[in-house]
Amino acid sequence: MSIETDATRREFLKALAAGACGACALGLAGGAARGQGDEPRPQTAVHDAMWFERLPDKAVRCTLCPRECVVADVERGYCGVRENRGGDYKTLVYGNLCSMNVDPIEKKPLFHYLPGTGALSVATAGCNMECKFCQNWEISQFRPEQVPSVLVPPENLVRMAQARGLPTVAYTYSEPVVFYEYMHDAAAAGRKAGVGSVIISNGYINAPALQTLCEQLTAVKVDLKAFTEKFYADQCAGRLAPVLETLEVLADIGIHTEVVVLLVPTLNDSAAEIAEMAKWLVRALGPDVPVHFSRFHPTYRMKNLPPTPIETLERARKISMEAGLRYVYLGNIPFHEAESTYCPSCGKTVIHRIGFRVETAGLKDGACASCGAKIPGVWSQEQALAFKPRATPAAPPPTPPAPARSGPSSPPPPGTSP
Amino acid sequence: MMNRRTFLAQAGAATAAVAGLPYVARAFGPGKPPVGKSRVVVIRHDALAEEPLDARRVRELLDEAAKALAGEAKAADAWACWVKPSDRVGVKVNCLGLATRPEVAGALADAWSAADLAPERVILWDRFERELRQAGYTLRASGAGVRCFGTDSLGSRGQGGYADELVTSGDIGSLYSRLVTDESTALVSAAVLKDHNLAGLTCALKNFYGAIHNPNKYHANGCDPFIADVVAHPNIRGRLRLAVCDATRPQCHGGPAARSRWQWPYGGVLLATDPVALDRVAMEILDRRRAAVGLKPLADDGRPVRYLASAQARGLGTADLVQIEVVSIGRPWTDVG
Repeated sequence: MSIETDATRREFLKALAAGACGACALGLAGGAARGQGDEPRPQTAVHDAMWFERLPDKAVRCTLCPRECVVADVERGYCGVRENRGGDYKTLVYGNLCSMNVDPIEKKPLFHYLPGTGALSVATAGCNMECKFCQNWEISQFRPEQVPSVLVPPENLVRMAQARGLPTVAYTYSEPVVFYEYMHDAAAAGRKAGVGSVIISNGYINAPALQTLCEQLTAVKVDLKAFTEKFYADQCAGRLAPVLETLEVLADIGIHTEVVVLLVPTLNDSAAEIAEMAKWLVRALGPDVPVHFSRFHPTYRMKNLPPTPIETLERARKISMEAGLRYVYLGNIPFHEAESTYCPSCGKTVIHRIGFRVETAGLKDGACASCGAKIPGVWSQEQALAFKPRATPAAPPPTPPAPARSGPSSPPPPGTSP
Repeated sequence: MMNRRTFLAQAGAATAAVAGLPYVARAFGPGKPPVGKSRVVVIRHDALAEEPLDARRVRELLDEAAKALAGEAKAADAWACWVKPSDRVGVKVNCLGLATRPEVAGALADAWSAADLAPERVILWDRFERELRQAGYTLRASGAGVRCFGTDSLGSRGQGGYADELVTSGDIGSLYSRLVTDESTALVSAAVLKDHNLAGLTCALKNFYGAIHNPNKYHANGCDPFIADVVAHPNIRGRLRLAVCDATRPQCHGGPAARSRWQWPYGGVLLATDPVALDRVAMEILDRRRAAVGLKPLADDGRPVRYLASAQARGLGTADLVQIEVVSIGRPWTDVG
């Protein structure tokens, strides 16, 4: 099966035009509502943010991701897309899409999720990390005013997927966590309309927000960038521990999860680190979690290293399978045998992949067609939409119940002091 | 209350007193060791506390401050110390929250005409035209006179008005505004004195966060060493000629948003060629005011101004008050009541 990979310009602009009425109905900011039907252009789309706490002096603490930025009035968080406006926290990218393509689901990559299907793949500007090897830095490391975009309300996005016969919307390319509110609402609208939603994420999100989001999602792919805090600190401006917590929460929730590890020569590719990571994944997510080792190519701020040697990737796969992982793939190496899925019981090919060409003849009713062994994954849209999170501890409310004004640390007004 | 004669006598004395001192403009350029103390001129006058400000009076007072800073008897000679007629001068104002007042920035832009610089060669700028308008600036992208516009108005050139070349100074990659890289041979930081919830202080140095495309990535650890990183890049450091701070009505708490409750009529403007020294004096003014109104010093309020030490370590100037000569014109600079 081959998939068309790009929405046409006409379709993109049509979506923009279709979104115009919806955008007005949602009460998007005046600046954002202007110009709909025009060319994609830099703009913001203001909407109430979820997940924050009010602090004294009109400051807020963002509780969406582990950074927990304290954001003063008129300032933005680290992601650059969430802004404090007079003590109210706003997202500036609600439906403000700077990228939209139809991709094979394998490109995400999700290999155990509706193989051979397409996903309407979208992104806004912004990210809550800064990886020196980011392939999409021209959107992830920019603010919404700096990136041409169009407004597509959640319902319109879902209708676009339906119109193309696509079972899935993928929130991807930049970092979907930072456009949480839009993703949450669009995924909810998708569920009602029979369209699944997957997130391609760095996993840098706080547990309560993740739990709430997973009520709407149908699958998750997490980039585990390394297995050392040093790599996260030095190369990504982030931390490892919260990402591991995310993976544990996903396991608790029971949502279909796949993990990608980009192997960067000399920085995260040692045998010891791979072995430790693989053992942890087996322990935390079980041996059936699909893991993809992906090949690094020089880009953005990391142009001084060569592409990952294929032998390094093959060694990582071997180490991981010896540690107990059953489905280990190699990415960014077209035509490699490790693109395909093999039955752990009989070794036969279950899903044969060459690039984005997919043959599923070896898979029958979610099992190996040869020996009948069950292959873990999401193999039908019905199965995808039937997903409900396993009970987890209740998440706290995502928005503050009431504004808090000047707190105890506020000093007395001038005139009352010595 | 100081009368005009007393004021002018004091200003003249300040100029005469500093005329024999070593000129320290750009003494902290790459590879140049400090020469003498860094001079910061603080000029205060009732006219700088009036509402509205009289742009003509502001200009006269800026001339006095410039003469005192440069050690020159004539304003034209003073302004000519920092720019050549062939320069294109980018005056970076700060319009986020409490803004650099248009009367101060306008007087500063006008002052360069004394140095035979054509008004068209001066640009008042910030990140967004929206913020410039909100702060009271009149936009003018072309035609006669001083121009005023935002980086975003260059959106069709490069990445939203930012240069194509990704550069790194410190640990974060950024694109600098084309108003810096393409349009300016000389830069002036026209900051406003205000409290900042993370850095403690935002003044001449942090003002240049508005020159990069991703300032949101630079706020950890009290913006340290990130403020120093941004200014230390040759794009800024190689062009920065003068630091000016609008302290007509500073804000000692609750920044960077404007909070009238914490503003007071200091009625001053600060000038220096050493932006670190200027920020150090600015911090002293804020802390003194905070003490006067019963607030803790910034350092004890969880917001020590860490970036000053990093800026000094990068060779951008001195953060040591002992190494700073504060030339006070008018009311004493330390009087914050």
